[in-house]
Amino acid sequence: MIEKIQNNDLHKALESAYAVVDFSAVWCGPCQMLAPVLEEVAAQMPDVAFFQVDTDENMELAVQYGIQSIPTLLLLKNGRPVDRSLGFMPKPKLVSFIESGKNK
Amino acid sequence: MARYDIAIIGTGPGGISAAITARVRNKNIVLLGSRNLSDKLSRAHRIDNYPGLPQISGADFAQALRDQLAGLGIGITEKRVASVYAMGEYFMIQAGEDILEASSVILASGLAAGKTLPGELPLLGRGVSYCATCDARLYRGKTVAVLGYSDEAAAEAEFLSEIVQQVLFFPLGKTEPQERDNLRILREKPEAIEGETTVRGVRTAGGLCEADGVFVLRDSVAPDRLVPGLELTDGHVAVDLEMRTNLPGLFACGDITGKPYQYIKAAGQGNVAALSAVAWLRELQEKKEK
Repeated sequence: MIEKIQNNDLHKALESAYAVVDFSAVWCGPCQMLAPVLEEVAAQMPDVAFFQVDTDENMELAVQYGIQSIPTLLLLKNGRPVDRSLGFMPKPKLVSFIESGKNK
Repeated sequence: MARYDIAIIGTGPGGISAAITARVRNKNIVLLGSRNLSDKLSRAHRIDNYPGLPQISGADFAQALRDQLAGLGIGITEKRVASVYAMGEYFMIQAGEDILEASSVILASGLAAGKTLPGELPLLGRGVSYCATCDARLYRGKTVAVLGYSDEAAAEAEFLSEIVQQVLFFPLGKTEPQERDNLRILREKPEAIEGETTVRGVRTAGGLCEADGVFVLRDSVAPDRLVPGLELTDGHVAVDLEMRTNLPGLFACGDITGKPYQYIKAAGQGNVAALSAVAWLRELQEKKEK
């Protein structure tokens, strides 16, 4: 399950041991492609919390995290940004990106 | 949406050879490219090493290929492929304004010309973007530079000017937009993109043109940008002898896989790629039946 962030409120992600935050928007093609892949990955990684930030609705967060291109995936470990990745990724790469972030 | 069995990207000898084999194997295919087939081929003065066609000119060879496609009822879909997304069991292909679906893809789009500018890759996602429609809104109230190499660049710059505060357009291709208050055309040659953690601007011989973002809009993109997640070796798509790439269901053939850049090699690889795609489709089918 991927939780939609509202009102720039990221506290649940910041309190998670591991969180993936997907900065995206409805009008962005690659974001729409990434979404179902992310859903699949979320379903098989119960120890990671997944969030989606619509940058139009949550501009403050986008600015705060310096998001200048979407989709951007931000990896948080105990609330600390440990890695980010830009653009679409196929599933195996997405999984290894998240796994490797756990050790950072 | 109808899903094609095989989407073939590129209409040089590699892509056409793949299309012929795939059609003979009764696959539902889409061939994406140009009616002119391939610039490289049409410009070739003479081809000396193609068995059975001694000293044929590039133009004659291209005509023979067109005739063969027509004879098999294979049409060419004239759309520029912007991206191929590996969704798992299938692929989504952004072709012009359309999204196509295919169970497998054969990448035969030739060599990606054009080097990147200094600073371009390090600042990617930190102010450098390749997608105006994706990222325009992140630059509301800001100044962006557009490096307009592609034919669509002018239209994209006009689109950007409706959203951002100021567009600086560098005309580097055939088209340029209408100038307006917030869309200026700069006839200077970009030498580098500058910035430390984020973009500061575009460096030209005349100095630094300050900008918060730089949109680099090219016709040809590197293969791993065209297909996110694709593995390369020395700038070419890494393939095995079956023309398989690291992405299951995606095959590549011709110049994009590396040297030698020869028509006969491209055609041979196209044939192998199509047969491998056919085998992959059979595997998919068997998996579904289980």
